[in-house]
Amino acid sequence: MTKLTTHNEGEDPEVARTLRAIYAAPVGEPYWNDLEARIMGRITEVDLGWWAELDRWVRPALVAAAVLVLAASVAMFRARQVETETAYENILTPSPVPVETVIRPTLEGDREASLRDVVGHRERSNRRP
Amino acid sequence: MTVATAVHSTFTMPSPSDGNPRRGSDERALVVSAQQGSSEAFAALVRLHQRRAYAVCRAIVLTHEDAEDAVQEGFLHAFRALDRFLPDQPFGAWLYRIMANASLDLVRRRKVRDADELSESSPAPFRDPGEADELRRRLSQALTRLTDRQRSVIVLHDVEGFTHGEIGSVLGIPEGTARSDLHHARAALRRLLKDVRSDI
Repeated sequence: MTKLTTHNEGEDPEVARTLRAIYAAPVGEPYWNDLEARIMGRITEVDLGWWAELDRWVRPALVAAAVLVLAASVAMFRARQVETETAYENILTPSPVPVETVIRPTLEGDREASLRDVVGHRERSNRRP
Repeated sequence: MTVATAVHSTFTMPSPSDGNPRRGSDERALVVSAQQGSSEAFAALVRLHQRRAYAVCRAIVLTHEDAEDAVQEGFLHAFRALDRFLPDQPFGAWLYRIMANASLDLVRRRKVRDADELSESSPAPFRDPGEADELRRRLSQALTRLTDRQRSVIVLHDVEGFTHGEIGSVLGIPEGTARSDLHHARAALRRLLKDVRSDI
């Protein structure tokens, strides 16, 4: 009869030996080569799935979308900036053509007519006997 | 399904790269290469770790066939989660945690299935057809009477030589709990095998 021992934190050498026999891993390279092939076979199946292909495109698609959003934001910002600058310029920069010069031709005609009228009237008065 | 994607432990799990810095850096290079999509690099990682991964899974599940299934599931999970793995971390610790979770998931699924299938009959104890002697037969039976965690802890410690801290990391439990589980597992086995040990 073998007594159960309490050495090594209660480990029983015979039980431990039997445990190792029960849980012994398979020996021989062919077994492990076969297991590796099965593991890689399952991974290849998964890797070739359509959703894996989709997954492969997710990252580039996200990057492209981010670039597009960034470009659109920059374009909008620039457009708004130009609009604001133009508005300021319109307010602050004096108009190249003064208001008087626009009005003057109209006034000039009237004044000319009035002057001719006055001069004509005077000449007519002078000719009268 | 719970799959660990990162292990923040400070110790290094014994792994095929232990004690050899060059092999450690080779492993890191393989991990980086696999993360960039090289299936050859991932195959090399499988080759490097499959024996240890099998041992972890075998400690948790009840049969060799289940251990094979769990190893395949575990590597599949690891492959899917690979881009979330930080290469500075020990790859072995991360991988064995995934293996343990895959095994625990399989044990849970088996329990549900067995409960459905055998609800009318008494559960048949696990019996290794190759067992040669009485102690081996009774030990196999006794192991099915332990809790999943107690069985895993005693096998990982007494068969695979994991330390309490390593067991804690693999199973996601504190080191003290692993130590206490081991103590209770041994006590339970002593109790369950008392009569057979007297007969031998």
